[in-house]
Amino acid sequence: MIKMEKVTKVFKGDVVALRDVTIDIGKGEFVFLVGPSGSGKSTFIRLLNREDVPEHGRIFVAGRDIGRLSGWRVPYLRRNIGYVFQDYKLLQKKTVAENVAFALEVIGKGPQVINRQVPAILELVGLSRKMDRFPHELSGGEQQRVSIARAFVNRPLILLADEPTGNLDPTTSVGIMRLLGRINEIGTTVVMATHDSSVVDSMRQRVVELDRGMVVRDQARGVYE
Amino acid sequence: MFSFRYVLRETGQNLWRNILLAVATVVTVGVSLAMFGGFMLFQVAVDSATARWQDGVELIVWMNTDVGTDEDASVRNQLDESPGVERWEYVDRAQSYEEFKEFFEDTPEVLEIFTAEGVPPYFRVVPTDPDPDVVEELGSQFKGKPGVRTVTFAGDVIRDVQNLSNRAGRVLFIGSIILLGASTLLILNTLAVAIGNRRTEIEIMRLVGATKWFIRVPFMLEGLVQGLLGAVVAMTSNALLRNYVIDQFSDADGLQLLAGFKVDDSAMLQVNLLVVAIAVGVAVIGSNLAVAMHLNE
Repeated sequence: MIKMEKVTKVFKGDVVALRDVTIDIGKGEFVFLVGPSGSGKSTFIRLLNREDVPEHGRIFVAGRDIGRLSGWRVPYLRRNIGYVFQDYKLLQKKTVAENVAFALEVIGKGPQVINRQVPAILELVGLSRKMDRFPHELSGGEQQRVSIARAFVNRPLILLADEPTGNLDPTTSVGIMRLLGRINEIGTTVVMATHDSSVVDSMRQRVVELDRGMVVRDQARGVYE
Repeated sequence: MFSFRYVLRETGQNLWRNILLAVATVVTVGVSLAMFGGFMLFQVAVDSATARWQDGVELIVWMNTDVGTDEDASVRNQLDESPGVERWEYVDRAQSYEEFKEFFEDTPEVLEIFTAEGVPPYFRVVPTDPDPDVVEELGSQFKGKPGVRTVTFAGDVIRDVQNLSNRAGRVLFIGSIILLGASTLLILNTLAVAIGNRRTEIEIMRLVGATKWFIRVPFMLEGLVQGLLGAVVAMTSNALLRNYVIDQFSDADGLQLLAGFKVDDSAMLQVNLLVVAIAVGVAVIGSNLAVAMHLNE
């Protein structure tokens, strides 16, 4: 599903964010990206979403070299990739249902699709009863569930999550990880950057450790350290 | 695929969120276009009032309505041979009657009295030297000639009106160009604020796969709406200017020159279309600059 071949990303001032990274992530895998701050986890995720392009190497998503994708095709790539933020990035003036519907509306889906898919995804994340609430009326965990619902409502092949439990307490984090686990069981490939060792240790999934831009560990059913 | 309802809703919300800035933009665009429209209307009105005296024509030789062929030929010969005449143009009875009808179109009672036979043909004469004394001397050579009814001169009033119109027109034109530049920048600024207010939305839109144009169109439409509302302000101003200023001049008694000081419907339509076209141009430039500078995908 995702393949990186000798990928190097350098930022201004010769800061090497990723160095010669080669990795292969299969369909339906759940992968944790771990490592200290500045190790390249966020860059890894940004490259998969074509928010950045590497200086060297090639990246394949669903068999397609995304480095060669012309600009107008990038939005269509992103429709196959859900994105979950650490700080949720919910629209405060929209209700839960409207926040989720927004993701469908801006890719041109009509009311019929929206009316069918939004309640279904809210049911999946356990927020059916709160679909008319505004984000400020929800707890942090509930807001992250809305963010996940928005990322997954279009049923993407891949879900990228950048520190999704970073702002949550341990108990709430467990609930979020269960939800991501269910999404993964449906067949979605999940790549999650995290600092949260308890989450990684409890899930026992594949762990890719980055350090100063290099892959220093790639372990099936691994732990944080 | 674009959702028409989505685009309209987002454009409306953008305008509403920045309502004060949007109003300021519409007023500025409106004032600058109103100045431009005013400049155009006064030019049209002055041109209408001084139509016979355009392009350096300093004197007109009016012929009798029943002028004979020999008399007509004699005046033509004299105009051809006179070293004081640079060029001349003959306006026959039919053309003269058309001009007459246009001149008095608002006063049908005058038109009822005259027929084509009652309107004289004339020669428009451009002298080699526009000095008033030389022109008067030239005109005196035609006065009293057989078939010549009278000779009229452009005179100081017409030249003063034309000069004043040119100068005032230049000031209005330059002023409106400066204001139109300001309007473009104001549209750019309003959209930059709108884009800033919706940064999170835009980021989400990009990441869930909205196309570049889907993100851009509501902002560009917002600029266009501001430009078009400005055009409506300017067209209202144009209508007021025409009905309550220019038409008042032409109704003034005793000033024959001002009788022709008017703007007909077709000229008014042309000015208004130009105003709308400029409004669209200003909006498109401002919007494009804004999205290019602040919506870098």
